[in-house]
Amino acid sequence: MTRMLKRVEILLIAAGFLALLPVLKIQRTTDFIIFCIFVLSYDLLYGFMGRLSFGHMLFLGAGAYGVTLFTEHGSTNPFLALGFAVVASAAVGVIVGPIVVRTTGAAFALINLAFNQIGYFLVLIAFSKYTGGEDGMAATFRTLGFFNLQNRKVVFGFSLLVLLLVFLLLKRLTSSPFGILLRMIKENEMRARFLGYNTFRYKWLAFIISAALAGLAGALSIMNYGYVTPSFIDPNRNVEVIFAVLIGGAGNLYGAVIGGVAFMTISNYLATYISRWEMFLGIGLLILVFRFRAGISGALSRLFQPVGASEERR
Amino acid sequence: MIATIVYGLTIGGILYIISIGLSLTFGTMRIVNFAHALVYTIGAYVLIASMRVLGIGFLPSVLVAVALALPISWLIEAFVIRRLYGESLDYAIIATFAVLLIGVDAIKWIWGATPISLSDPIGRDLEILGVVLPVYRLVIISAALVVHAGLVLFFRRTVVGKIVVAGLDDKDAVRAMGIDADRYFSIIFVLGSGLAALGGILYAPITSVHPYMGFQILLLCFAVVIVGGMGSLQGTFLASFGLGMMISLTGRFWGPAAETMVFAVMAVALILRPLEM
Repeated sequence: MTRMLKRVEILLIAAGFLALLPVLKIQRTTDFIIFCIFVLSYDLLYGFMGRLSFGHMLFLGAGAYGVTLFTEHGSTNPFLALGFAVVASAAVGVIVGPIVVRTTGAAFALINLAFNQIGYFLVLIAFSKYTGGEDGMAATFRTLGFFNLQNRKVVFGFSLLVLLLVFLLLKRLTSSPFGILLRMIKENEMRARFLGYNTFRYKWLAFIISAALAGLAGALSIMNYGYVTPSFIDPNRNVEVIFAVLIGGAGNLYGAVIGGVAFMTISNYLATYISRWEMFLGIGLLILVFRFRAGISGALSRLFQPVGASEERR
Repeated sequence: MIATIVYGLTIGGILYIISIGLSLTFGTMRIVNFAHALVYTIGAYVLIASMRVLGIGFLPSVLVAVALALPISWLIEAFVIRRLYGESLDYAIIATFAVLLIGVDAIKWIWGATPISLSDPIGRDLEILGVVLPVYRLVIISAALVVHAGLVLFFRRTVVGKIVVAGLDDKDAVRAMGIDADRYFSIIFVLGSGLAALGGILYAPITSVHPYMGFQILLLCFAVVIVGGMGSLQGTFLASFGLGMMISLTGRFWGPAAETMVFAVMAVALILRPLEM
């Protein structure tokens, strides 16, 4: 039965994005899918481990620049480049992790932001000779059989496949003992430590996984667009993923996907009608924080719960 | 070299004036206030507006700008921050960031996004040991010292200051004595915001005024607070001038790296002394 359910939900997500295809352009839809991967990676950190980061763009950027630099100096094989990008962003997580996961709350948010700022500085100015600075640089991938990244359908199919795999991986991970421990760290880390768990190690591992998945999203974006610019690592864009997680409902994988699609729809289509975009974003965030904390997924699950069972979940 | 030192002290003074409010809100309310950057930016813009529209001089405009920043920060405190007391820190961070976004967009709406530069309000130079120094920088450094001395006196001598110091140490004990600690914390919040506006005003003639100026300085101020220790007056004072010197010394050799060095120092500080918040 559960196996059946698992197949159904995967089919639902796939069908949902296929249904978007006739409405949007295929490249846009791919962009939506990739953003959802990024939101999922963030949700592991914020929704499940309870650590709000203001610097997750660093890892998206590490993946984006990792894949581009690899095609430039290494090989143009797309799979090798993608693998390198994931390893590179995980490596950034390995290095930054021990410093940031010691902290919680405000310090965690800010230190991530500071590292994001350093990364932005590195690609924009310090290593602009290699990264193209403000202009960015193009990435070209070799064609392997039918896997031609010039073909939009291939990029779409591949991104969707990756999203489904990431979704399943996180589903498995968050319901495993490891995932339960992460939630325990969110609720009460002291208690987890008293039970004898070395919480530092688990937090670090979760941070690395989140970093690697964000890097994966960054690398896929480059496969979709073929061009990297510093906007992929811009610390001012962190608010987008926070908004997406909140609107979908933090700590819920479906919520992350719904939130990703909702945010992309707003930013791609409503933004052309809304002249004051940042103000809209700010007011939206305030509404989410004060009135709508559980997000869309929370509202949906309350809708489908039997009467009386709808305890406020915090 | 003397010019570099004076520049470092100037930056340090500005950082101190802005960071102290952040540090005190951090320490008293356990809230990271991104809206601090908004008040700072508003200070600089109101200064320019009152100089150009009202046609009054620099000093009266400073008073106008600080006076206007106080009610704005009170509004932020009453409508956003007070409603988030005792809730998860994350919501406070997100909500104050949202306020910053809204405010910055409003500033862009009113004044446009083009950077405005302001000329040195004193316009005189002083020659010390053959080095020409703008008097205005020395004014900033002395302003920071005056603010520091004033705050030290405020916390040692006045009842409000003593209550806040006690509240920093143990809020529950203060409340057990029948004192509404939160009310005093909001006074501190408004005071700190007023200082942030003052920082923006004083810095405006040195840097250029643009809607995003707050984002930049806020990160540096967070670094100051983390290095100096939250809620600590002396720590913030030393960290401000230390990091200010670091910015100016690094900037002498490689301009773009100056601000990034601050974050490196912050990372080292965190490794040596992990922060529990």
